[in-house]
Amino acid sequence: MSEIIRVKIADLAVMKDDGLLITVGLGSCVGIALYDTVYRVAGLAHILLADSAMFRNQDNLAKFADTAIPLLADEMARQGARNGRLAAKIAGGSQLFSFENSALSVGEKNIQMARQTLSKLKIPLLAEDVGGSTGRTMRVYVREGRVTVTTAGGEEREI
Amino acid sequence: MGDTKTTSKEFKLDVLKEMGNIGVGNAMTSLSQMLNFAKVEMHVPDVSLSPLSDIPDLLGGAEEIIVGIYIKSPGAVSFYMVFLLDLESARALIKDLAGADASVEEHFGRSVLLEVGNIVMAAYLNALSHMTNLTFLPTPPLMAVDMAGAILGTVLADAHVAEDHVLVLKTAFATATGSIEGDFLIIPDVDSLDLIVNLLLNGACP
Repeated sequence: MSEIIRVKIADLAVMKDDGLLITVGLGSCVGIALYDTVYRVAGLAHILLADSAMFRNQDNLAKFADTAIPLLADEMARQGARNGRLAAKIAGGSQLFSFENSALSVGEKNIQMARQTLSKLKIPLLAEDVGGSTGRTMRVYVREGRVTVTTAGGEEREI
Repeated sequence: MGDTKTTSKEFKLDVLKEMGNIGVGNAMTSLSQMLNFAKVEMHVPDVSLSPLSDIPDLLGGAEEIIVGIYIKSPGAVSFYMVFLLDLESARALIKDLAGADASVEEHFGRSVLLEVGNIVMAAYLNALSHMTNLTFLPTPPLMAVDMAGAILGTVLADAHVAEDHVLVLKTAFATATGSIEGDFLIIPDVDSLDLIVNLLLNGACP
């Protein structure tokens, strides 16, 4: 295994050929992994909120699902990926605390916006491990294009 | 004094630190009382404008499994507060308070911890209420046992933090025996900050 890049909250990263992208502790946040199978370009974003239009401060586009996904696809294109070849896997969006009186949790909103944005960009969503009430860690193995999810105290499993 | 528009950022942070000191002092006194007046040592609150991306790691690692008790107090001045313990400390706290050996996964253990969170955070808001004359109406406490990063990330999302730097008051505490240690985090809503500083500087009375 060569390089490891840790993607922090409201951040994204792209790697080519080999390496590991990891984002730790997705609660209501959603991790979005994109992959170009031909050129082995992988990207991972860790979004905090769903909709950038709801906020005045949009300095960091990696923070919102609707803006992070196109930004990630652009970064990947710069490293040789083709939009038409990208595929996605997402994880996270859980409800750690039982916010009983919120109809739609922050996590659920994040999941929906991620799905919507991917479909708008015509990026197929191949797998998802979302919702529930536990946090997740997401890994993208760049060489194989493999995406795994680990929950607290659990085993790493491929999605 | 008075015009906070001309006061420096450092000065504002000092005011907020003092607010943290007094409020958390009160909260820790209540914790000590619950623990039969065991000595609870509190560190000086650490007030910082942290980059958003650093917050999940504030407690020594985003993947660390911890117990988080979360309360928000919405209003003219909004706060997001989290009382955090490692699993061993949580267990020790349940045992010291209730005399029973119960894990955080059990209903009984959860109830004890939620109540502790409630009392400690109410004590904090009480102190603040005295200083500012504001009334706070906190929500019932919520609890999660999970990765620190997931807990803090969820709180940030729930707080709709859109800024790239977040003001966090972090206070570490420990009982004298070291059996219980934890952190108390307060994230004031960004739109409330000037109002808080103003009230604290100019006094509560109109």
